[in-house]
Amino acid sequence: MKPGLRINRFQVDGFGHFRGYSGTPGPGLTLLYGPNEAGKSTLLAFLRGVLFGFEKRGQPERYEPEGALFGGELWLETASGPLVVHRHGGKRASEGTLTVRGPEGQPLPETLLDQALADVPRELFFEVFAFRLDELSSFQRLAQQRGVSEALFAAGMQGARRLPEAVERLRKDAEGLYAPRGQKPELNRVMKELEDVQQALREAGDRPALYFSTRDRLAERIAEGHALEVARKHVERELDHAARLESALGDLAVLARDRAELATLPVLDTFPPGAETRLEDVLQRRKTYRAQQAQLHERLTPIDEARERLAAPWPVRERAESLRMALATYSGHSEQLRALPARRAALTSRRRQLEQSLEELGLAVDAGGLLALDLGARARGELESLAGRLDAANAALAQAEAEQTRTREERARLETALGRVQAEVEALPEERPAQVRQRQAALGRMRAVRGDLERLAEQRLEQRRQMDGVRAPTDAVPLRSLLPLSWVVAAAGVAMGFAVLAAWVANVTVGMLCAVGGMMLVGLLLLVRHRVETARHASLEAQAARHRWRQQEEERFRSVQAAMCAREELLQRELLHASGAAGLSPGASLADLAAQESLLAELLTQAERRELLLREEDTLRTAWDVAVREDQRVEEARLRADQREDLLREEWRAFLVARRFPEALSAASALTLWRDAAALRQRLLDLRTDEEEFTVAEAACDAVTARLLQEARAAGLPPGPAETVAARVSVALEEVRSRAADQRHLDGQRGELLAEKARLDQLVLDEDQAWDALLAEGGCQDEATFRRRAVQARRYAELTARVREHGQRVQALTGMGENMAREEVHAAGGDPGLKEQLATLRERHQTEGERHKAVLTEQGSLKTQLSQWENDDRVSRLRIQEETLRAKAAELATRYAADRVTLALLGRARRRFEEEQQPRVIQLASELFSELTAGRYRRVFIPAGDARELRVSDGARDWSAEQLSRGTREQLFLAFRLAVIRDFGETRGALPLITDDVLVNFDPERARGAVRLFARLAEHHQVIAFTCHPWLREHFEAEGAHVLELPGAAKPPREGAQPLRVVSSG
Amino acid sequence: MRFSFVHAADLHLDTPFRGVATHGPLLERFQQSTFHALARIVDVCLRERVTFLLLAGDLFDVKDRSVRARLALRTELARLDHAGIQTFIVHGNHDPLSGDSGTLGLPASVKVFGPEWEDVEVRREGRGLCHVQGVSYPDVEVRENLSARFRRTGEHFSVGLLHANLGGDAGHANYAPCTAADLAAGGLDYWALGHVHTRAEHLLPGGGVAVYPGNPQGRHVHETGERGCVVVDVEDGVARRRFVPVDRVRWHRLDVPLAGVTSLDMLQAVATEVVESRCAEDFDGHAVRLTLAGRGPLHRELTRPGARAQLETDLRERLARAHPPVLLESLKDGSRPEVDLEAVRAGGGFLGTLLDEAQALSHDDAALASLWDDEDLTTLGQRLKRLGVDALEAPRPELVAQAGQRGVEQLHEEAP
Repeated sequence: MKPGLRINRFQVDGFGHFRGYSGTPGPGLTLLYGPNEAGKSTLLAFLRGVLFGFEKRGQPERYEPEGALFGGELWLETASGPLVVHRHGGKRASEGTLTVRGPEGQPLPETLLDQALADVPRELFFEVFAFRLDELSSFQRLAQQRGVSEALFAAGMQGARRLPEAVERLRKDAEGLYAPRGQKPELNRVMKELEDVQQALREAGDRPALYFSTRDRLAERIAEGHALEVARKHVERELDHAARLESALGDLAVLARDRAELATLPVLDTFPPGAETRLEDVLQRRKTYRAQQAQLHERLTPIDEARERLAAPWPVRERAESLRMALATYSGHSEQLRALPARRAALTSRRRQLEQSLEELGLAVDAGGLLALDLGARARGELESLAGRLDAANAALAQAEAEQTRTREERARLETALGRVQAEVEALPEERPAQVRQRQAALGRMRAVRGDLERLAEQRLEQRRQMDGVRAPTDAVPLRSLLPLSWVVAAAGVAMGFAVLAAWVANVTVGMLCAVGGMMLVGLLLLVRHRVETARHASLEAQAARHRWRQQEEERFRSVQAAMCAREELLQRELLHASGAAGLSPGASLADLAAQESLLAELLTQAERRELLLREEDTLRTAWDVAVREDQRVEEARLRADQREDLLREEWRAFLVARRFPEALSAASALTLWRDAAALRQRLLDLRTDEEEFTVAEAACDAVTARLLQEARAAGLPPGPAETVAARVSVALEEVRSRAADQRHLDGQRGELLAEKARLDQLVLDEDQAWDALLAEGGCQDEATFRRRAVQARRYAELTARVREHGQRVQALTGMGENMAREEVHAAGGDPGLKEQLATLRERHQTEGERHKAVLTEQGSLKTQLSQWENDDRVSRLRIQEETLRAKAAELATRYAADRVTLALLGRARRRFEEEQQPRVIQLASELFSELTAGRYRRVFIPAGDARELRVSDGARDWSAEQLSRGTREQLFLAFRLAVIRDFGETRGALPLITDDVLVNFDPERARGAVRLFARLAEHHQVIAFTCHPWLREHFEAEGAHVLELPGAAKPPREGAQPLRVVSSG
Repeated sequence: MRFSFVHAADLHLDTPFRGVATHGPLLERFQQSTFHALARIVDVCLRERVTFLLLAGDLFDVKDRSVRARLALRTELARLDHAGIQTFIVHGNHDPLSGDSGTLGLPASVKVFGPEWEDVEVRREGRGLCHVQGVSYPDVEVRENLSARFRRTGEHFSVGLLHANLGGDAGHANYAPCTAADLAAGGLDYWALGHVHTRAEHLLPGGGVAVYPGNPQGRHVHETGERGCVVVDVEDGVARRRFVPVDRVRWHRLDVPLAGVTSLDMLQAVATEVVESRCAEDFDGHAVRLTLAGRGPLHRELTRPGARAQLETDLRERLARAHPPVLLESLKDGSRPEVDLEAVRAGGGFLGTLLDEAQALSHDDAALASLWDDEDLTTLGQRLKRLGVDALEAPRPELVAQAGQRGVEQLHEEAP
């Protein structure tokens, strides 16, 4: 049996009508007895809820109290140690908030609870391990719930306990790989991609065939292009020739006309070119130059007159430099001159104010005396230092006095507290907590040891029963031989005797026959003896083997018994020791133990309180000593501060007298007076400096004014006040500067005009000479002749140039001379014939050009296509994709097929297994159901096939569960559940069985049998049963159940922890 | 007279490679590898100054529809033409004459045998050197024993060039089937065969030899190891053969032992070490299939959903960065939990029944067929066949045995 889970205690904080209920179920069979509405179903729901989460809101089994704490705790014993599972309802999760802690309160992971529950699903636990009467008869639902059903049936299949999970995993894997009508599974996607790729390949077509046919077409187009190119070039040449002749037709006509006119003119090759223009230019320039000479003379005359006016004599101009210096000096002092009266009045006013302030200051000194006083920074520093020290001494004195008051109050408070603690300590008993705890631990050990002793006694009893069974007498085997050999020898002798007797009585033949018959009988006797001896030897060997086994078993039992005796002795010694330590006799009753427990708990509380008070008294006494020492120290400090304050006050008075200050001044007043006197002294010093500066400025201003007046007089300016004279001098100097500027301007203008006049004179002379040279060049004497010959020469030159130009153009256009071109035109039929030929050629050229262009375009297109195919790896990529997808699809399909085959194989194996070997759960259920029905039914089985139903058989015929009466059907389902629980306990973990009045439909005999099965199951599993029926309670009590009585519904529960009342204990 | 020639076959130019991503740096190396192999065969011809080159069919695959394959063939054979080396070609089932091979426009020195048997005399300096006989496949499927058409025509060294399945190799379609006796009956000195991609030599009764050079470039994970052509030196009628590898990308199937490997990082390191130890540096690239083999503590971790796929992705990225780059074709999980099947069978219970049932099924064709007769599997098999995938054509007994083992592993693993 694997360790599982046991509920040692439950604490209901709030669930249904329960508030603060607690209970301690026993480790084996426990009955919770109570009338209707006592809360049995509520407690069942509580236990299920704390372990697996509360029901959803709105469900009747949620039992959430209104306005109270919802939930509670379970103290569990598990394979990994004790756990305290705490679950309370919250606003968020309907199942409540789960907390798992250790016995010391340390938090533990929630997975420990799952492990303790052997990872049993919630549905399976509710259906099999903790169920009500209505759930007992719901096996069909249990069977229909796929997960539970699979888990139940697989639980009995050796080696296939996780078959449902494996089947589900395979099914999911297969569905994830492929779905017949799906799109998302991997194989579906791969096949879709493969179809797309193959479609793309089909669309790409047979690329090499296309390539080669395209290449052939390209070769044809290239040949065609070459032929078209040759024909086009021939037409181009003809067209070019005809076009050139046509373009020369106009030039040929002009040439003929110009040559006729040229013949009418004299030869004028040497007449100067551009003669008329040159003549007009010379005449025009001569006229312009002369007009400019007249304008220049008119501009020179007024300039000469102005220069004479400015050259007349003037005294101011001669003394201009002296006047400018004097005026500059005066202007520099003008501001100072204007400010002198105001400064004088201000100085006078400040002196009067200072004298008045000195009188108001209160010092017995005049202005001179004040200036003589030492009011410097060092002296002021001394004053401030002295005042500061005086203030510090006063503050220290006040602080010392306040601290003295505080320490005296603290001392009085400590004395009061010390008195209170001492009084309380005297009222408590003198007992130490450690001693009390030792006694408590001894009491706990005593309880545990007594429990161990009881279990040991049960085990010894069981061992003794088994030993008695081993010692039971067996069939005795005769030790001696049943047919001794002497009997055979005697029989042979008798036979031989008879033979001799027969030979003697009858004849030899009869004697021989008798002898043969006798020997045959002896042989037969020997054969029988051999068989009997062989059987006897076999029995003797079997008996010896049983004897040896019995001896081994007895030896084993004896060793176990010895170990148990030793263990019992140890436990007895420990019980004696523990009871002595707990202050009880070893045989003390449970009531004595409980009374001693509560007494020790109270004593522990008092001892702990006394220890706490003693520690507090020590603390207070130490604090009081400290307070006394502090008071003495504060008194000494106050006396020192008083002496220091007196010394400083005397020093202060001496300092004030030495500075002519009133000696009764306080520190603040003295500092204020000092500051005012120092400020007044500084103001007096500033006034004296300002007065000296004013006197120097006044003398400088007088000297500057006198010099300005003197210079003005010397320059002939009229006298007057200094400022008027200064203005006049300024005006006169400005006028001097203006006249000098005018003079310079006039000189510059005159020089420029004289240079222009000389240049014009030279130009007029040059033009006269050019006129004479032009007439001589044209071979003429006068202007009229010159003009007439010039017109004729111009026409001659024009005609000559045109004839030459048109001749060259005909040559350039046709590549032939003028005469040859005329002949070609004539041969072509003249102008109309040539134009007609040209139109024909142009039409041919255009047609062939378009055809050639089309061929070239097609060539380019074909080349591009070929080049693209030569370098395009799209088909190659598609083929790679196709092959890769095929490989992938094959792999996925194989995996899918493997999953499907594995699923099918598991199904076949399962059917075969169920046909050949009923699961262990069913075998167990058969045994239990047979026992429950007192042998009425012998076998429970599951028929082969997919139907999940239980059938029962009496050996002759079988029935389905629906065909049974309600009570028998419930017994069948109970037997099945007990079988599952036993099998689960052996393979995964022993979980408790909790039932809520599930035996009420059983007749008394079968109910007693069911309780017996519960009691047997309770040897390894915790079993908690609820009932309200007294007759069932009697059955449970008869099986030694630990009975807890629930309070009646009519009696409301009181607040606070209330343990259930123990009525009897098994 | 002494002379030599080169024998190659099954070039499969521009063949698609399985498991290579259609984008990325590895694609170019793999796509060019068949072209590089052909170029190296031509280099061998030029270096060895051979008299002629024999190409025994399947130069390319018609269904690949590759223009580049045709152009590359023409370009490389033009190099031989410039060097005065003849080329003899027969077409096989992948490039039959019914395809577009007639329009290749090959150089004049290239002799492509037609659908009828022909015999060509190779001459040097005005004297006969040897005879080369050959016949091409007119169409894809040739079930006739073409070797029966060959016969000795003269006293010179005689070579038969043929694309055929000698001895009915199960791994290849049984086209132009023939036996060693059939070939020996022709009386030729050297049979230059193609079609079987694995290099092999068959000594024939009477002194001749039939040679499969194998394909010059492995194309998938079932074509591992070195690949190339055969150089044949003939002197006094005796042919000495030398194999010359020409592949530039090599395929490998490697086992990664799981014993002692305790973490996925360690497994990656072990796998990388195995790959590096087997992948030489003087190649353009390598392609590997790794199989996790043996039993080890990592088996449970590897059976976690997505674990193996993630490991495969990580390893693929890691190996692709190697020098030369390595393509991880796939990572197979061949690891096994520590289950003793015989012990399980002997232990009985459901697992024993499961193994018994699997064994019984794998020997019972009717039961196997009924197990396979699943509507979904049938529909899927038909759809896959339409797509050219023959994965589910027939019931496969080995799947049943594997299913039994797998069931035991899953159930046994979870057992307490």
